[in-house]
Amino acid sequence: MTDPTVAAGTSSSRGSVSTGGAPGDVVGVALVPGLPHLLADDPAPSWTALADATRTVGERICAASPDAVVLLSTQWFTVLGHQFQHDPNPRGTYVDENWYAYDYGHLRYDYPVDVDLIERWATGTERAGMQARLTRYDGFPIDTGTIVAGQLLDPDGRLAVAQVSCNLYAPAETMTRLAELGVEAAGHLGRRVVVVAVSGLSSGLIQRWITPDEDRILSAEHDRWNTRMLDLLTAGDVEAALAQRAAYAEAAAVDAQGRALAFLAGAGLDGVRADVVAYGPIWGTGGAVVWWQP
Amino acid sequence: MARSVRSVRPMSYVFRMPPATGAVTGAPDSSPAVDRQTAGQERGEPEQRDGRGEIVAGYLAPHPPHLVYAENPPQNEPRSQGGWEILRWAYEEARRRLKERHRPDVIIVHAPHWITMVGHHVNCVPNPRGTSVEPIFPHLLRYHYDFHTDVELAEAIVDEADAAGLVARRMTEPGVRVDYATIGALHLLNPDWDIPVVSLSANNNPYYYASAGLDDMETLGVATRRAIERTGRRAVLAASNSLSHLHWDTEPELPEDMAAEHPYNNHQYRWDMRLLEAVRAGRTKQLRTLIPEHIAQTEGEIKSGSLSWMLSAMGWPEVPGDVLGYWTVIGTGNAVVEWEPMRTDRSATPAAHATGTQR
Ligand SMILES: [Fe+2]
Repeated sequence: MTDPTVAAGTSSSRGSVSTGGAPGDVVGVALVPGLPHLLADDPAPSWTALADATRTVGERICAASPDAVVLLSTQWFTVLGHQFQHDPNPRGTYVDENWYAYDYGHLRYDYPVDVDLIERWATGTERAGMQARLTRYDGFPIDTGTIVAGQLLDPDGRLAVAQVSCNLYAPAETMTRLAELGVEAAGHLGRRVVVVAVSGLSSGLIQRWITPDEDRILSAEHDRWNTRMLDLLTAGDVEAALAQRAAYAEAAAVDAQGRALAFLAGAGLDGVRADVVAYGPIWGTGGAVVWWQP
Repeated sequence: MARSVRSVRPMSYVFRMPPATGAVTGAPDSSPAVDRQTAGQERGEPEQRDGRGEIVAGYLAPHPPHLVYAENPPQNEPRSQGGWEILRWAYEEARRRLKERHRPDVIIVHAPHWITMVGHHVNCVPNPRGTSVEPIFPHLLRYHYDFHTDVELAEAIVDEADAAGLVARRMTEPGVRVDYATIGALHLLNPDWDIPVVSLSANNNPYYYASAGLDDMETLGVATRRAIERTGRRAVLAASNSLSHLHWDTEPELPEDMAAEHPYNNHQYRWDMRLLEAVRAGRTKQLRTLIPEHIAQTEGEIKSGSLSWMLSAMGWPEVPGDVLGYWTVIGTGNAVVEWEPMRTDRSATPAAHATGTQR
């Protein structure tokens, strides 16, 4: 067992220390789904469309040749401080506790972590008055969303990842700040990065075992809200989307209350029009693949 | 230390005995349960359909990993200086009663951190074993587990749940990591792990895709009781839940620094006491309405349904619960409580009237 080097202290007073960050070079921003159905041998049409769209975004990322991916997955959720994955090479298998009975419930992962970027990001987070902790343990369970997104965006596992957990008790503004700090840390190191959030939209699950062809967004209201938010992103109005985040979360049971969008906003999306590459249901939830080219 | 999370509305974690699968080890046919059955039916308690299976006790058994961490058991890798002694001493008393008085064939646990998105799942793996590195608290819980499932009872619960109209599934994949709420409650009740186990998932929770309501959990409780009766088990139930559940979003450098430990706020504390006073007074049926109120007021972890499942399985017995201990963990309220549904000689505590918060 490797013991972690804990970069954390105890301070939680916020924002009093400048991080003095360089702006960082963001060459792409993406939102992708994290449910494993996208890897199904027998997929629903929307699962195929979402998987293909995620691969398309992966090709765009590859074309931009970033040094690292600054990553958030809402399925690695935490409640105390912010954890940063510090294992240089997470690899193993994961059996999903929900979908184990399906082919897509058994997942393999093997990818590099940008340890320097992680350490810089965690230190910057601490300096900014937030609690940060490096996470490096044998057998640590990498979440399904991270694995699914990795397999579709970067099937060969070549891209170095810098991932922070999704604190479900942290305000959305903190998630924005975390992404800003990640980009700043990359800037300090001269890294070109893409910023990716793995998250669903509405999270109303169909509460029975369905066949793939039965899949649809759980409710018309969820569908309307998802579409309204995607339209705002397409128009380049992230500010308006964030202003409606709380209402959206309440009305459509949004995955992690929309913290993924708040995180992506920290990559600098003001006025940048989104390309909604695909949108559709995953077991009743809303899934979208969205790409921004800053 | 704390930042307010009021604006955040959480959506809606090696030791063995010989396998006892299918065995009825503690419920002889001439069991006093037959006599208790007749008396129990007169009191409106669960029907003992075959006169053998019975629930001898139910525990509210909170699972914060801090409690396991504080115990420094050999199964857990991290080491602590202790902490949260009041709760751990409460568990010590629960362990004594479990071994000396209840002597169950099986402990059945319902836990909110095996979060299932579709349906109620029951672990039917005969011998779950592995290391559970907890993704939320990896610095506190890296636990080596190795225990035995009462597979016959586990499958019977799935069948009864299915017959009751619930979506239910047998989980037979040994690779699924056992969560910390299952490990926490079971370790704290029985660190020897020498009693077979049945572990149920939570198809509802305060953290993530929430779906099933408390009504479903009550149905699951009835199904659990039927399965216990049908298989003739002498069972102890464990509802692996904290009470009030707003908490800090950072922690002290030393996690077991007890100078940092106190209720998140007085509102949460008062609501925990309101619930526990009803428990101590034996006003169990009142809990059916009080539990949803408590959840609304405190983001209570009992939203996951473990407590409702257990009380329903026991038939909402109008007997006082014995509060063995209460304290906070990172600001959340936690109580170790024992109910003995067949026991009517335990008198209700008058303290409910003394504190002035009786409703
Ligand atoms: Fe919990």
